[in-house]
Amino acid sequence: MTLHLTEPRTGGAPVHSPESRKPVPRKSQRGSRPGGSSIDVQRKKLLIPFVGPAFVLYTVLFIVPALGAVWISLHKWAGSGPMKFVGLDNYGRIFRDQLFLSSFGNTLLLLFVVGTAIFVLAFALTLVLRDMAGKKIARNVIFFPHLINALVFGVLAGFIFNPGGMVNTLLAPLGVTDPPKWLAQDNIFPLIMVTLVCTTTGYFTTILMAGVDRIPPYYYEDCALAGASAFQRLRYVILPLTWDVFGTCAVLWTISSVKIFEIVWVFGGSSGAGVPPTQSWTAAVYTYVNAFSGQSTPAYGAATASAVLSLALISVLVVLLRRAMRRDAVEF
Amino acid sequence: MGKTARHLRPLAALLGAALALSTTACGGATDASPAAEAVDISGSISGQTINYWSMWKDGEPQQKVIAAAIADFEKETGATVSVQWQGRSNTEKLVPALNTNNVPDLVDGTFAKLAPVIGETGQASPLTSVYSYEVDGKAVSSVIPEKFTSNGVFKGEDGQPWMVPYSVSSDGIWFDAAQHPELKAKPPATWDEFIEVLDKLKASGSAPIAADGDIAGYNSTWFVTALLRLKGAGSFKALVEDKSGEGWDDPAVLEAARKVETLVKGGYLNSGYNASKFPAQQQLWANGDAALILNGSWTPTETGSYAAPGFDYSSFQFPAMGDNPASARVDFIGFAVPAKSKNQVPAQRLAAFMLNSKYQNALGTEAKVLPVRPDAPVAPAVESVKAAIDAAPATHLQNDGVTFPGFMEKVFFPKDDELFLGKTSADEFIGKMKAAQIQYWKDNS
Repeated sequence: MTLHLTEPRTGGAPVHSPESRKPVPRKSQRGSRPGGSSIDVQRKKLLIPFVGPAFVLYTVLFIVPALGAVWISLHKWAGSGPMKFVGLDNYGRIFRDQLFLSSFGNTLLLLFVVGTAIFVLAFALTLVLRDMAGKKIARNVIFFPHLINALVFGVLAGFIFNPGGMVNTLLAPLGVTDPPKWLAQDNIFPLIMVTLVCTTTGYFTTILMAGVDRIPPYYYEDCALAGASAFQRLRYVILPLTWDVFGTCAVLWTISSVKIFEIVWVFGGSSGAGVPPTQSWTAAVYTYVNAFSGQSTPAYGAATASAVLSLALISVLVVLLRRAMRRDAVEF
Repeated sequence: MGKTARHLRPLAALLGAALALSTTACGGATDASPAAEAVDISGSISGQTINYWSMWKDGEPQQKVIAAAIADFEKETGATVSVQWQGRSNTEKLVPALNTNNVPDLVDGTFAKLAPVIGETGQASPLTSVYSYEVDGKAVSSVIPEKFTSNGVFKGEDGQPWMVPYSVSSDGIWFDAAQHPELKAKPPATWDEFIEVLDKLKASGSAPIAADGDIAGYNSTWFVTALLRLKGAGSFKALVEDKSGEGWDDPAVLEAARKVETLVKGGYLNSGYNASKFPAQQQLWANGDAALILNGSWTPTETGSYAAPGFDYSSFQFPAMGDNPASARVDFIGFAVPAKSKNQVPAQRLAAFMLNSKYQNALGTEAKVLPVRPDAPVAPAVESVKAAIDAAPATHLQNDGVTFPGFMEKVFFPKDDELFLGKTSADEFIGKMKAAQIQYWKDNS
């Protein structure tokens, strides 16, 4: 059965039928009491004091800067000094820029390829850990990498993959005299992807496990009695009952994957001493280099244009994702 | 619509208020920058206060010297200096501050970082008066070597200088003189002699050159310096400025690329240079596992903590090519005063004050960097670099001073990396650069 969250607003009986959602004619409201029931009046009185401050802060700190970014993206501007209006030129230029396209491609790789790997692994781990002894400890262990600053992985990559690093030192006794060039420019992005899978899986496993733990054990008993296979149990019990958690995780990953920046910067940027090789740029890195590389005149217009484009494309993705994942939440 | 509208109306009012509030907060952002004039900076500044955003962090050797100078400055003039030791990100913080009326009165940084944000955007005050101000009885302009200023690097669009350097950095091909006394006795002067040295080192079994190939700025030094040796200081910038891209067809440009190719194909670079992470390669160089490294004058301080025992830092200049006089790389660290500063006089006086020999000497001997004044002594490790700068007839900036938006990071570095890391040949590099540069100027003019 599905749960309806529509709250009774008029103080009367719960509203369920679609007809009653139609706006009540104004006349009848005026006729009874101005502004509706006393609860309604109270609610309206409290709207401004409660919502107001958050709304003002949100507008000043997020909405206005976002609109400001759109405005800047229509200009050629070095961050200070005169602004030159160029219309949509910055956008056209970005779409022609192979580097932006490849950077954005990398962002999509992170979003979809790394995302898929994370969720498949997280789900598998969830199922394994559910019946495991000592699952609390295991859960903490796999969550731990998520707590570590990405900078650490960037620095660690050097120790592990440098020509004289750990991996090659371990391979040498095995007769590998010509090991792969781990940190060559073309290999850095795949390494970043693997690192992200390792560090992020634990985080989503933890959230999914919380969802799975919520499922009452009698469903599993039912499954056992009905002779369901492990796959059927997954298909008919676990997946439907954790679908909403799953959907939230997918949105969380979509949003955070678009902003991935620091790990790319330290992995290939020599811990901040330079700009990472273009092969490993993401859209966020592209934006940053345009505005703040420190090695050339800042191009704020192009930087904000790429930020606005990323925001727009991601908003579309999130909406599509929400649509694709939409199911009626199962009440249990 | 009844209910929704009634909820929306107050929200709309709030939105309006918030918008009004935030736009007033940003007021002044579009103010045209004031057309600044040089000011007279003689006269008393007692009782005045300036705000200084420093590129140094508390405890750094340079910070200690500047802090001592500020203490003396306050005592001598009666002015007050309020310092924020911000570190290298001070220029990033400067950009948004320049859009407000709350700017620092004095900032310092490398030329490469200050020029794009304050010098070329017309946001800096002309410091002509600083150059004519006297320190130790001599005008500032006469204690700074003429070759540093004669090419007009510090001049803004109005033709007046906007930066006053107090320290410089340079580069060289570094080696351990204890291991290779022959290089100190007779450094290779020409490219052919350089290759001979490399061949000898290779034959002796040690890797000739270490390079942290993941730092594009280090990689580009090879090609850019080779080109400057062949065509003179300023030729790389001229090549890049050419909107037709035809400059890349010049045989000398191909020649410079071929020199880099020689190093790569000849196996003179330490194996693994193309797949390692800074500072792995300079570490193994400091341990004696490779003989040479092309790097900045900061190399002795940067590698000092892990260098092999008895390491004796010395360097020689990038070898000469052809008959062109070899210029020395000189990057500047110095002061600029934002045009919007309301305390021009004391800020400019402090900029001049750092050029007193007392602090210049301290920069050389205590902070162990290169002071801008040639008469200041330096630490033994950088003596070879100082000698090279003193002897050079001209100077050039890192990357020849190219700061076109995104050009180095997005156009030049990726292709130069391919050349230096052995992924493309010299001819392919030229072709790719030409096409990319034509496209760049089509998009950016």
